[in-house]
Amino acid sequence: MRTRRERVAVRDGAVEALDRGEDEGVGVRVRVGGAWGFAATRESTSAGAEAALQRALEVARSQPASAGAELAPEPPARGEHAGPCLENPFAVSLEDKLALLGAADEALRAQPGLAVARAELSALEVHTEFASTEGGLYSQRLTECGAGLVATAVGEDGAQVRSWPASHAGSVAQAGFEHVRSLDLAGTAPRVAEEVVALLTAPDCPAGPQTLILAGEQLGLQLHESVGHAVELDRVLGREASYAGTSFVATDEIGSLRYGSPLMNVTADATSPGGLGSFRWDDEGVEGQALPIVREGVLRGFLSSRETASEIGLARSGGCMRADGFARQPLVRMTNVNLEPGDAGTLEDLIADTPNGVLLDTNRSWSIDSRRLQFQFGAEAAWEIRDGRLGRLLRNPSYAGLTPRFWGSLDALCSASEWQLASVVNCGKGEPGQLARVSHGSAPARFRGVEMGVA
Amino acid sequence: MRRIARDLAERALEAAPPGDGALAHVESERSLMLRFARSQPTQSTSVTDARVELAVVCDGHVGRASTNAQDEEALAACGRRAAEAAEAAARAGGPGPYPGLPTTSSPAAHDGHDPETARLDPARGGAALEAAVSAAADRGVEAHGTWTVGEVEHAVASSAGVLAAERVTDAFMKVVCIAPQGRSGYASGATVAVGDLDPPRLAARAAELAAAPGEPAVLEAGEHPVVFEPAAVGELLELLGRCAFNGLLHAEGQGALAGRLGTLVAAPAINLSDSPRYGSTLPRSFDAEGMPKGPLALIQDGVAHAVVHDTASGALAGGRSTGHASAPGGDPVGPVPSNMVMVGGGAADAAELALPIERGLYVTRLWYGNVVRADEALVTAVTRDGTFLIEDGQITRPATDMRLTDGALGILASVQALGSRPELVSDGELYGRRYARGSVCPPLRCGSVRFTGPAG
Repeated sequence: MRTRRERVAVRDGAVEALDRGEDEGVGVRVRVGGAWGFAATRESTSAGAEAALQRALEVARSQPASAGAELAPEPPARGEHAGPCLENPFAVSLEDKLALLGAADEALRAQPGLAVARAELSALEVHTEFASTEGGLYSQRLTECGAGLVATAVGEDGAQVRSWPASHAGSVAQAGFEHVRSLDLAGTAPRVAEEVVALLTAPDCPAGPQTLILAGEQLGLQLHESVGHAVELDRVLGREASYAGTSFVATDEIGSLRYGSPLMNVTADATSPGGLGSFRWDDEGVEGQALPIVREGVLRGFLSSRETASEIGLARSGGCMRADGFARQPLVRMTNVNLEPGDAGTLEDLIADTPNGVLLDTNRSWSIDSRRLQFQFGAEAAWEIRDGRLGRLLRNPSYAGLTPRFWGSLDALCSASEWQLASVVNCGKGEPGQLARVSHGSAPARFRGVEMGVA
Repeated sequence: MRRIARDLAERALEAAPPGDGALAHVESERSLMLRFARSQPTQSTSVTDARVELAVVCDGHVGRASTNAQDEEALAACGRRAAEAAEAAARAGGPGPYPGLPTTSSPAAHDGHDPETARLDPARGGAALEAAVSAAADRGVEAHGTWTVGEVEHAVASSAGVLAAERVTDAFMKVVCIAPQGRSGYASGATVAVGDLDPPRLAARAAELAAAPGEPAVLEAGEHPVVFEPAAVGELLELLGRCAFNGLLHAEGQGALAGRLGTLVAAPAINLSDSPRYGSTLPRSFDAEGMPKGPLALIQDGVAHAVVHDTASGALAGGRSTGHASAPGGDPVGPVPSNMVMVGGGAADAAELALPIERGLYVTRLWYGNVVRADEALVTAVTRDGTFLIEDGQITRPATDMRLTDGALGILASVQALGSRPELVSDGELYGRRYARGSVCPPLRCGSVRFTGPAG
């Protein structure tokens, strides 16, 4: 596996970071009896791979005896695949990148009262060569690119922050530099800067049960934390209990667990164009699939590997094994866990249909318990909704809830024209730690009776 | 191994264009981690890797590039990428804010390396797993957890004359036991020497917490007195490191101690430092820019004294580096303390700390902690793996896990007493490069902590 990455950031008119990294190595995963062994080396030679194999065997054999489940059968993955990339981000000059970010940074700083202005972009390319003793042999190259803005203002009552298109590295897609060019960073910067300064004197978002509209990144993160992680089969089976946690979902609840309202349809889709969780084959050699997770509010499936799928009697792995580089073994990870659109029209239509409520924008903080049941989120900004119209800007919004109750309160979902992917690039799981990158598609959604003002 | 990393740093520096200064930072890792769940082995990972990070300075800008290849051609290419980046930044923005590479380095030695740990013996790990599983079975519970050992060498060579290398080992084990009714318990150990880990003792403690009898009590939302075990205190300190002691946030006016240095921010009993060679910590000699690490008082007698800096944040604040660079040229998220040590108090243990509490919580650990608003040190986390009710001065029965959402400095301000035996707590390893770190802290009693309701 070979990885190239680049990150460029401009802060207050100066280049803050210009990092360019490459690494390459071989990871060998073996199974002896029921025990797994994995060894990684930076030596991408036959001798290096042979040494890693011997170490993986040694490690696997040293562990206590384990029964282990059979692996769900899978035809060998063979072929070549390259993800979408029209303009190679590593071929774009640093001058062009710095000019793009510099213009955005300058546009932010035109707003008086800003404490910090930041603009950043990133690119990643992962090239995997996979071979297995079952006859698998594939080559896969995936490219990602993204960019974003962050403006910070500090006043007497504290600091406020606004990010665009999203916090946490902005909007990142499986695409080439054309994705960065499609984001109008400089054109949007004045609005972002104006909002963050306005937040300094905005009233606090009121507390208590309210009607809440979520969209974009915040709705994506809500899906990520309370649905995506909860249906990872390794967690459900207790395999991640000591670190990432378990799940409130049980293996025998397919078809019976009421996860949310009848409007809720969730699909784990490794084929979503532009999604960071899209691929032709996973890191176990299973072809990417689109799997129903929730249909009409009822649990229909899990994210799985060959081993976990077999353990609960599924015919085939869901193809969700992903590794964060050559030195990490694959884990059950999310593909693009998407909320299918509804028929409530546009966001404007949804707001017009809401007499009183709050629209939240851009994630600021997140936390959920180890069973993925009780969560708390904070956002950068909110707008009150009065008589079907957006009203005052509100600061420090937060909300909390219990997963099935929250999704059960979903009562309106915008139409397909509003559906878009939002990226999550910092999903941590596993020991040694791994960061996964995934996207979540959704259209703006409305939830009733949500507890606000918890933080 | 030590010589290899230092030689690699010197070779990389030679391969880099000189610019206005160049620095090579090498991290070489050998590690082994075994995981287990439901009393069965689940995953194992053995890693051998070395990363070279080259930083080139040009007119106050830092360009960085990294590679894990070691041949001359790859090192030269890495150096060229770093130089191109720095030169492009200089052309785009004129003189930059980076004041230049540190020029002095005489890091103090430490005893943070254990040859036995460096053997990375999988058989020893397998035996640890068996011992933990056996001890858990004795109490009728299942064992889950991690056993890991690692040997890491750091080396820095720079055109400013810095040449430093150190070798460290770390060993970590945690055990989470889960009883048939679903209650869980936690225990962990972190140390330089694997021989200091005691798997059966850890498993027995985790099993004891999990197997505690009784239906969990539900504590109402609100403010309650709490006894925090060291693992929970360590999580709070980690969060404070990010939002209060982070020198970049502080310089930007976003940190929780902005405008508060020199003022009382915690109870007078709180003495907190970053002490990289404290007896039971995971010691470090220097940072990623080659700056020597030394003790730094963060809070003394409740008064905030300092935040930590790398060279870039130090320059922004009008000061200098305190030896906390995690990357040459500075990390955009800012520097954080690496070896926090909280001085203990006079209480023998958590049971003694609980004595004055009429009704409150005993918290073994906090999980999924996150900063809600840095400037307020407002944090949130959930209790996990051993939450109990305190009634009339006694830790009596299990309690449901709760969500804590409160100001971390306010929590420290409400500290009434501390335990006498601080211990090293760690998560074992974070994401990315292996840089084992932890905090040394005692259990403590707080008079008032805000919980927003049950969780989990």
